[in-house]
Amino acid sequence: MSHRRAALLLAAALLLAACGPTRLRVAGALSPRPTSGAGASLLAGFARVDITPPPGVGLAGNGPEGAEALGYRLRLYARVLVLADGVGNRLALVVADLPLSSALLHRRVAELTRRTDGIGVDRLVIAVTHTHAGPGHFFDAAAYNDQGSSVVGFDPVMVDSLTARIARAVHTAVADLRPARVAWGSRSVWGETRIRSLPAMLRNIPLPVAPADAPAGLPQEYRLVDPELAMLRVDLRDPATGAFRPAGAFSIFAMHGTGNAPSNDLLDADIHGLVERRLERHIDPDGGFVPRAVYLFANGAEGDVSPAWPPQSRCDVPTLATLPALDGPFTRTLWQWRPPTATHLAACQHAAREAIAVIGKDVGDSAVALFDALGAALSDRLEMGRAFATVSLRDSARALGICPEPAVGMSTLVGADDAHTRVQGWRLFGVFDIGLEQGSPNPDVPGCQAHKRKLLDGWFGDLPNRLSVSGTLPSYAQITVLRLGSRVIGAVPAEVTTTAGRRMREQMLASARNAGLPVSAALILGHANGYMEYVATAEEYTAQYYEGGSTLYGPGEAAMFGRTLARLAASVSAGDSLRSAAAPPLDLLVGHQRHVVPRTSSTRVPPPRIERVWCSGDTLYAWLQLGAAGEWPVTTGDVAAGPRVEIVVDEQTRAVVSWDDDPALELRLRSRRAGLAWWELRWSGASGRTYRVRIPGVADSDPAKCNTPV
Amino acid sequence: MTSLDRGRYAWLCLTGLVTAPPVAAQLSARTDVSTSGRYVWHGISRAAGLVAQPSLAIGLRIHRVSLESGAVLHYELDRVSTGELSETGAGGRRLGEEDLWGRASLLVGPTRLDAGVVRYVFRGDPAQGGLGPTRNTTEVYGALSVTSRYVNPSLEAWWDVERVRGAFLRAAFDLPVLGWPFPPYAFAFVQGDMGLNVGQGPNAARPAELANFAGRGLTHIGLGVGAEIRARRVTGIGWATLAVGVRSQLNIDDATRFNGTGRNRDFSAWLWTGITVVVGGAARERR
Repeated sequence: MSHRRAALLLAAALLLAACGPTRLRVAGALSPRPTSGAGASLLAGFARVDITPPPGVGLAGNGPEGAEALGYRLRLYARVLVLADGVGNRLALVVADLPLSSALLHRRVAELTRRTDGIGVDRLVIAVTHTHAGPGHFFDAAAYNDQGSSVVGFDPVMVDSLTARIARAVHTAVADLRPARVAWGSRSVWGETRIRSLPAMLRNIPLPVAPADAPAGLPQEYRLVDPELAMLRVDLRDPATGAFRPAGAFSIFAMHGTGNAPSNDLLDADIHGLVERRLERHIDPDGGFVPRAVYLFANGAEGDVSPAWPPQSRCDVPTLATLPALDGPFTRTLWQWRPPTATHLAACQHAAREAIAVIGKDVGDSAVALFDALGAALSDRLEMGRAFATVSLRDSARALGICPEPAVGMSTLVGADDAHTRVQGWRLFGVFDIGLEQGSPNPDVPGCQAHKRKLLDGWFGDLPNRLSVSGTLPSYAQITVLRLGSRVIGAVPAEVTTTAGRRMREQMLASARNAGLPVSAALILGHANGYMEYVATAEEYTAQYYEGGSTLYGPGEAAMFGRTLARLAASVSAGDSLRSAAAPPLDLLVGHQRHVVPRTSSTRVPPPRIERVWCSGDTLYAWLQLGAAGEWPVTTGDVAAGPRVEIVVDEQTRAVVSWDDDPALELRLRSRRAGLAWWELRWSGASGRTYRVRIPGVADSDPAKCNTPV
Repeated sequence: MTSLDRGRYAWLCLTGLVTAPPVAAQLSARTDVSTSGRYVWHGISRAAGLVAQPSLAIGLRIHRVSLESGAVLHYELDRVSTGELSETGAGGRRLGEEDLWGRASLLVGPTRLDAGVVRYVFRGDPAQGGLGPTRNTTEVYGALSVTSRYVNPSLEAWWDVERVRGAFLRAAFDLPVLGWPFPPYAFAFVQGDMGLNVGQGPNAARPAELANFAGRGLTHIGLGVGAEIRARRVTGIGWATLAVGVRSQLNIDDATRFNGTGRNRDFSAWLWTGITVVVGGAARERR
């Protein structure tokens, strides 16, 4: 072989390697054995960190329908509660306003918090609210980085930024540890959620029945949900007065983070963000822009549970159509994904916003009522323990009772009824059914993934899945069981359906009691420490609705999780360190590395300024220059003491009526001229008065008179 | 009004449209460069070798009405021997034809109505067997096309107003097969067409006139498959696509069978590829 040819081959190989997906190896940092504690019976600390990224990132969770973020509405936060007992055991709970959890993020954060605070992977749970208006690009599997939204790619800057912010928040919560009193309780919340895949659920044996307290008038899909809002209320001792004051709470409630329509193009904390703010403002009504209270509102077994949004809040999806772009007599027809009309999108997004406001307020009111009721049951005792395991899904498939080769079903490509994708119902040549429908099992599929209809499996068997899909899916599951007083909590890296979750809870509870733990209830915390899509029961799997099609490792997954959670529930421990086998290194294929988070910014950023302000009807608009092009709204992640922008009434009082963390206020990036960020502000809360836009400490705009809303 | 006045008036109108479009107007431009193993127009093979066809078009859309115009050049890239099918004639490797077109379109929901004109100018050397100025002609046409989720049919009526003075009907369809929903977007599609000659055959009253087809009736049936990938998008400006495909045609009329001196083909198949850049108009949007 000549030198030139060898050099060419080498260059080609290097190019291929450079264009290929990125692989990472991530170590598992387990917690050290706790040193003796401070002597107090129970300590707790809270923290909150801003994780709102700059515009340009993809809004993950809706697959191809996930838009590129153009700005933000409710800011995204990660909220942290650290609990510590008298002998030094610490547990850190993080609930982040993010779409999916990530084993990569979990392990990276644990690397830092183990060093600073003795909190390793086994004592750290990072769960997410599953808002579909949150950023992607930090996941541990290529499928979710490359196909989680319409913006493709894995971005290490996103991983590093989230890691640093969340780790710092855990450290802040540890530094805030104070004597605490806590109380567990729960309350049923009816009418705000519904089962979205009822035919699949009704395949379960025995047939699911509604809880006894289900209101009689509700339709079946509303009665069959798990309505439990579980809450751990936490009061902390005020260092100044020595009295215990309400400080925050941790909750689990099963509800998808899909209040926003998939066509939404703003970062937003969705319904969960409103519920969190509702209780935080209740606890701390005078807290200013950022309340001191912190409410971690985590997701439960929400796999088949949608918020009760109305159908008109879901927008049509783009359709495959010819593109009439100067296709003259001599040029060929072009094709496009033709978007719905702007009028349609505006109408459905408005309906979604209204639904978010109503559901957020109702669930938030329930949280407030439960929080207040728990005030009478506070105690300074909370026995804590944890068990943790990392399951290698492919390597141990046979032992685990799952399929060795993960696969997504055709119903996954179609999307759930929360988020139908553009390929739903597509037929080849308009005639041939290729399974792009909800509930289209293929009973002829042999083997472990029986019933799952896969891409082109009728022609090529499992080959397309093996060649292009399987390798992009997650290979590991990190599973944690926590004991917090009278509750055991199974933290799973997946979206568990209602019935699968109920079975897991029963298995955990029985196992924990058999092991002698005095616990009264078990809870499932979904979307924790990683993501491997859905876990449907074996019966639901045969229906191949969205959740069954997305149960990657086949019909044995739910039982596998049940057994593993039961095993861990029986081995919950404290005051020790786990063996290294609990957290082996993870070999991850994270997808195509890209610069998604903007990097280029002006090095000289002038003070913010307001270009113009005007009112159109009942909406106030402003054009602003705020910061550099690649800047995060909060540069370091430390929660700002004040907003970036406020709306004030044009009176002597200059009363603040809105700021850039308000569901009625949107900040949308207009351009990144000269390395600076130029924004448009829209506030739809005007009510016939005159307002000014204010950049705190910098400038007030000219007044703008708005009309009274019709 | 003299022809000079008419030209000046048309120029002023065009300039006004481009420089001062109303708020709802969208100005766009498109350029294509395609290469193909055969140049076929209305079922008739005009060159049997490799051809390159660069084209440029501009358009102005105001609400439902579009005004568009463009030009296309047909270069033959193969060296042609005597008797081979070619517009340029023996020797080849040069411009064989240049066409100018203009049209007005009206969009009504999923339906589009077009009315247009095409001017064909042939640059070949008749002495070498090519197509020369005597073949130049002008056609006007009307088209009705409908978009739907699957089949996108169109019906065209062409009228040669200069040389042949007769009508030709064409029915075509575009059918999407699959679309890749993530960037870079990709599409696979099927295209088909058929022609019906109703007046572009030999004219018994004027036997000296050139005809396009040998007789009345069905001229050809064509079918092709292709794939397109949206290779590059610059938000606010436009995008570029790459496409590749294969076309085949069942030749029915003798004129469509003609494949050079003494050579006929009942069936033809050829490959094509092209790059398209669209700027302005709807191409600026995020999709």
